[in-house]
Amino acid sequence: MISLKRLAFYILAAGHFLSGCATVDTFVVLLPEEGGAVSAVTVGAGSRSTVLDKPYSAAAVDTRGNIETKTVTAEEAHHRFGEALAAQPPKPVSFTLYFETNSIDVTPSSRPALDALFAEVAKRPAVEVQVTGHTDRVGSDADNDRLSLQRAEAVRAMLIQRGIQASFLRTVGRGEREPLIPTPDDQAEPRNRRVEVTVR
Amino acid sequence: MKSSLPIMLAVACALLGIAAQPAAAAEIGQIKNTTGQVLLLRNNTEQAAKAGDVVEQGDILITGANGSFGITLIDNSRLSAGPNSRIELKQFRFNPTTQEGESLTEIRRGTLAIVSGQIAKRSPDAMKVQTPTTILGVRGTTFAVKVDQ
Repeated sequence: MISLKRLAFYILAAGHFLSGCATVDTFVVLLPEEGGAVSAVTVGAGSRSTVLDKPYSAAAVDTRGNIETKTVTAEEAHHRFGEALAAQPPKPVSFTLYFETNSIDVTPSSRPALDALFAEVAKRPAVEVQVTGHTDRVGSDADNDRLSLQRAEAVRAMLIQRGIQASFLRTVGRGEREPLIPTPDDQAEPRNRRVEVTVR
Repeated sequence: MKSSLPIMLAVACALLGIAAQPAAAAEIGQIKNTTGQVLLLRNNTEQAAKAGDVVEQGDILITGANGSFGITLIDNSRLSAGPNSRIELKQFRFNPTTQEGESLTEIRRGTLAIVSGQIAKRSPDAMKVQTPTTILGVRGTTFAVKVDQ
């Protein structure tokens, strides 16, 4: 015969055991999207799963794989993740520069974009730049491969002149393979004579 | 001789296949900022991590009690971690031309904020984040995850 006192002890111990064992392991919260794009995270723990698809919806998963969903406030999210969010690197940005026909000269109308590129590169710490040259479909593939790389290298030279380290500058020429505007072969298209620059 | 030709071809193909394996780990991103103590663990060698350092598949980043860091990967995804974190860049593959790839990042403890990039945009759930209990599939999004020990 178990005394009441003893029984109470067992219940308490069991409760303690349960709470001590099934502690929250993972807490995940969906944050608002830049530009309101579609966003969701699937949360899977063993055979259980849920989907977070609204800003500030959150899931807590315990060490037994139980998932509890709730909504947190912006303040709560920033309280929990303040340091990690503060360390978020700036969003990579892209620039498109257009070129004169069969030339490595940037068009006058692309000058402002070129200046914006230089400014962006100058203000980023540990900056990396990817420069990809393209041509329109006038001329042979081999000539266009060469010209696209020369365009990319012209941009690279200007960036190096402004002090960016060559080790974080990558250039590639894609020839006429990736036209912005699809055209038949040998058709001149100013919007395809371009260099795309990604600044990370 | 006739009959041994296919075998020789098969052997040659197998050898070429082995030789075609990537020899060295490639850059998958770069550390953009650090504060406090941040260690980069690669091939069992530990070094202090700093802004501008290149990261590779398999790298582990560990932050101290006052540490944090931010990384931008080559698919334009961004990872940042707070104090007392252990983050491993377990798998990462990205083709800049097709924009297709897959990634798996593990957080064993601490906090991690993620803004997904081209991999998640191109194919939902190709970007995954793993914790000791949970697998997160990323569908083009910004989120944060915390693991308590």
